[in-house]
Amino acid sequence: MGDSTKKWFSLNLNSKEKQSSDSCGCGKTTGGCNSHTEDSISDDAFMEAAVNASIGEERHKDGFEQVFDVKMDRRSAFKKLTASLMIGAGAVSTSCSMIAGEETKEKAQIDWEEQFKGNYKLMSNEEKKGTVDRLVRSYQMRTGKNISMSSKNAEEDVLFGYAFNISKCQGYMDCVNACVEENNQDRNSEMQYIRIHEMKDGKGFNFNEADDNYYHEVPAEGHFYMGTQCFHCDNPPCVEVCPVQATWREDDGLVVVDYDWCVGCRYCMAACPYDGRRFNWSKPEVPEAEVNKNQHYLGNRLRKKGVMEKCTFCVQRSREGKNPACVEACPTGARIFGNLLDPESTIRWVLENKKVFRLKEDLGTEPKFWYFMD
Amino acid sequence: MGTLKEIMMSKYILSTKYWALILCVSTLFSCKNHEDEYHNINDKIEAKSKEYNGTSITSDKYIDHIKTMEITEGDHTFLIPERKSQIQSYNCTECHTKPLTEMQKNNESYKKAHWNVNLNHANANTMNCITCHNGNDMDNLHSLTGNQIDFNKSYILCSQCHTKQFDDWKGGAHGKRIGGWAPPRASLTCVNCHNPHKPHIESKWPARFNTQTEKERK
Repeated sequence: MGDSTKKWFSLNLNSKEKQSSDSCGCGKTTGGCNSHTEDSISDDAFMEAAVNASIGEERHKDGFEQVFDVKMDRRSAFKKLTASLMIGAGAVSTSCSMIAGEETKEKAQIDWEEQFKGNYKLMSNEEKKGTVDRLVRSYQMRTGKNISMSSKNAEEDVLFGYAFNISKCQGYMDCVNACVEENNQDRNSEMQYIRIHEMKDGKGFNFNEADDNYYHEVPAEGHFYMGTQCFHCDNPPCVEVCPVQATWREDDGLVVVDYDWCVGCRYCMAACPYDGRRFNWSKPEVPEAEVNKNQHYLGNRLRKKGVMEKCTFCVQRSREGKNPACVEACPTGARIFGNLLDPESTIRWVLENKKVFRLKEDLGTEPKFWYFMD
Repeated sequence: MGTLKEIMMSKYILSTKYWALILCVSTLFSCKNHEDEYHNINDKIEAKSKEYNGTSITSDKYIDHIKTMEITEGDHTFLIPERKSQIQSYNCTECHTKPLTEMQKNNESYKKAHWNVNLNHANANTMNCITCHNGNDMDNLHSLTGNQIDFNKSYILCSQCHTKQFDDWKGGAHGKRIGGWAPPRASLTCVNCHNPHKPHIESKWPARFNTQTEKERK
């Protein structure tokens, strides 16, 4: 080591000082250690060549710079600037123009207000109603069809909970179909919030050996079935990691997503230990005739490309007193839903009288979704 | 000098006590203000349901198209669908004008009925038609000891053997709700899902198969 007082190795990346030629990372001062190809190439030059070969241009620019720090001549700069100005001016001119039709103006006005609205979580009730009305009107103008959309808030004294009877589930998957239809999920990618796992008897909850996409007569000999979906954790890790607070836990315990605030980073998807969240990799498509027109802003309204979605315990149904679509569709009665705060509710009876357990309880996520057996 | 020292000491003790009090109060309040004031979901449920006052949400409108009747069994009171109006040819005595034994004697003059009923419930040692039906009173069912059971309350008949299922059903762990989760509770009764003559539920094919998942796996 050149410097005898130094007790550590330092990497010489990006430093202006040149590493002294007599020192080497391998500790040898003479001979070759194969990390220097030629004496004539300095360390800096070597680094440069190696990095260029691997990542090239990219490394100079990072994030913001990659987009904005682009070399361009005056002509192309003007071109791009004009293009973006045109778009902005277009929106303004259509909304102010005397010539454009009433409908075009209204559409531009709606688009403008939708673009600059706030996070749903922070909206007052009037603002919530405002955005819901705009979305309904916008859909009407686009398709000529009427939908109803609710912005109903969480009710006092309600905390939703769910129980799943693994001795009753037979793996029919009627719940999955009902869920897809109720929640306007993308038909092209066959998105489904619920997964039904076929598990071998005697192996417990072994997801490595389970199959969630079987197609044979059910129930199959020697197997049992259990379903997973969003568990609406009371301490949800997905909410914790969201960088823009586009997902949160409502007062009635539902973990919801504001599809218009979500930036599609998918942190929540990675944070969820239960595979409860789904991402729209492509524009979700639902045939017009199959669109469920009874919608909620936080629930089954039509989504767009690049946003997260998930089970909401059918917020559009549950806040009206109905059971979620999966509960209603289950032909075996394996699914039980209700208000955890009501001591007289059936869900409370199940929690107090059956031997219940939850998935990955040790994580401290406090899911409000219990499993039990007969 | 001594007294001054004492006063100083007592003041010191007093102020320490004061600070300890402030510390206690502030920790108490900071805990209260914290968003997650409950250790786990069970604590939360327990604490919050103490102040439960009921909700304005009801599922009345989802069950008003069904004819229901209220029953009370043990600690549970809830609605079940009325049954007699759903049985196609009730009253049974419209055909069964005489006791069964007499009707069987001269079977030439009567049309054969119930040809589609094939009892497949427990084994022949345990059950036959008259375990549940009363040949002398076809409009009612009867218990193992011969007590009359109304067709509307046929669950009493089932509960003679299926006691565990009966307990679970009363509590809400077995069977299915009609309407919604909100009160009033309305639940299907045994015979709404299980055919009493053939209670076994047939296996079938799943309602869907995800072709995209299949593609991804390949």
